[in-house]
Amino acid sequence: MSAQPGTLAPPRVVEQRTHRDARQEQLFRWLLKGCALLVLASLLGAAGATLWGGREAFAKFGWHFLVSTAWDPGNDVYGALVPVYGTIVTSLIALLIAVPVSFGIALYLSEVAPTWLRTPVSSAIELLAGIPSIIYGMWGLFVFAPFFSEHIKPWLTSNLGNKPDDGKLSWVVQHVPFVGKLFGSDYPFGASILVAGIVLAIMIIPFISSVMREVFQTVPTRLKESAYALGSSTWEVSWDIVLPYTRSAVIGGIFLGLGRALGETMAVAFIIGNSMTFSASLLDPGTSIASTIANQFSEASGLQKSSLMALAFLLFVVTFIVLLIARLMLRQLKRKEGN
Amino acid sequence: MTDSALAVNTAQTMAAPLADTKITVRNLHFYYNGFHALKGINMDIPEKKVTAIIGPSGCGKSTLLRIFNRIYAIYPKLEAKGDIVLDGENILDPGYSMNRLRSKVGMVFQKPVPFPMTIFENVAYGIRHHEKLSKSDMEGRVEQALRSAALWDEVKDKLKQNALGLSGGQQQRLCIARAIALKPEVLLLDEPTSALDPIATSRIEQLVEELKSEFTIVIVTHNMQQAARCSDLTAFMYMGELIEFDNTEKIFTKPGKKQTEDYITGRFG
Repeated sequence: MSAQPGTLAPPRVVEQRTHRDARQEQLFRWLLKGCALLVLASLLGAAGATLWGGREAFAKFGWHFLVSTAWDPGNDVYGALVPVYGTIVTSLIALLIAVPVSFGIALYLSEVAPTWLRTPVSSAIELLAGIPSIIYGMWGLFVFAPFFSEHIKPWLTSNLGNKPDDGKLSWVVQHVPFVGKLFGSDYPFGASILVAGIVLAIMIIPFISSVMREVFQTVPTRLKESAYALGSSTWEVSWDIVLPYTRSAVIGGIFLGLGRALGETMAVAFIIGNSMTFSASLLDPGTSIASTIANQFSEASGLQKSSLMALAFLLFVVTFIVLLIARLMLRQLKRKEGN
Repeated sequence: MTDSALAVNTAQTMAAPLADTKITVRNLHFYYNGFHALKGINMDIPEKKVTAIIGPSGCGKSTLLRIFNRIYAIYPKLEAKGDIVLDGENILDPGYSMNRLRSKVGMVFQKPVPFPMTIFENVAYGIRHHEKLSKSDMEGRVEQALRSAALWDEVKDKLKQNALGLSGGQQQRLCIARAIALKPEVLLLDEPTSALDPIATSRIEQLVEELKSEFTIVIVTHNMQQAARCSDLTAFMYMGELIEFDNTEKIFTKPGKKQTEDYITGRFG
């Protein structure tokens, strides 16, 4: 049983060690797999729970739930179109404003700004990203919405809307379809879909611009120099070289911002006006999925509660579709580039 | 005519200028953030010859090359003083159009850097900045540039593929094609083979030999054998100064200065 003279380690120890390593390796792999599966499980769990919670509403209204604008707790009739419209439109407005502004901020910081300015401005952007959304909501409600209704809204309604105070339709409204509908409003206050979209834009700019800035800095200097050497201007280098080189990360950053905009609750609940009446106008109050749930959940029961759950499930679906579109877009772009 | 002039000059082992001068550098100083990187360079670069610039790391050879197309100007706090006369005009004059300069002076960098686009677009990209061509003219120009860069036969069936799929040597020839597609008069090569294997390197050197009938070529290189193999004239720089500038043959056989001799015989650098 004893080790033979001359051997360095008894063979048994080596054998034990081999067995133990194999067991540990196995255990470690299972642990890692478990962590990853946890994410999948919580995703499916949340989607399943909301779907289950909303089953009554889906069973009662069927597909009609998606296209109905009714939301009448008195008669127990519910439809999702108003909050879904509000969610999608506010997020689109936010992206429309935030993407170009963020692109500008990121380009300035990575390509144009003097070195001493880069760090403080970048830190300021990251600080902005850390501000709680309720502060944006209060600022929107008490500062921006009144300012908007006093100084910006009158101009929009009289020049672009179909319900101007003096009753005279502007040239734009008469000649461009839909514009009049989007900007027509006789609602006297500022809180509206447009204001919510603008505040959302301000909230997601820090996210998008800090992602963009970070990835723009990964573009190799030689690549940019090569483009400059062919006579390109800073704008052309940014648009033709920097942006395509960083494209997937940039789109990732944009969709990170969009995801936040879609689900933002408090700030939107403050400034969107919380009206369950459908209006296509951006200057009228509306509601979003998240703010409807926040506003009504505490007092809801029965079919109304189930409808709110169904709304939550729809938010899942909307977010999922948005991510899917992002993936498809990336694939399309890659194909165009010859990959 | 030019060749015979060169022959005479070679025979008499005369200093530059030789042949017809394309670029005249006079009393050129360069400052990096206050650091005096080039100290009064004077040289005459002849037309349609290959001029090599050699010297140890940090001697200012790349710096000098990067002034010829003013690529340094995209960074702040860099300053060039003196004259660089290209075809009778001082390119350091702030009034000299950057666009015009960059269409006349092309540049190829150390590492191959294809743009994130298809092979075709890589070449067409630069052309579009300077000329409006019809689709068929553009195709012709791209083919011509790829042929001059000895790349056409390898890529003609995959012009729509991403340029990043090419090998390192092919990518570098693509960069050369991209530069010569603009029909420049001067081609600057900044250590164009330092990232390539020996076979790809010899292809590039062969290409340089072919291209010199059309372009004035200035090549910065770390590799003395490369300078000896493919250049007509060689400039040796050390510590921001131009020590010696003469026919390549003379520099490598009978250098006029002690420092040049020490460098080419490998005593430092």
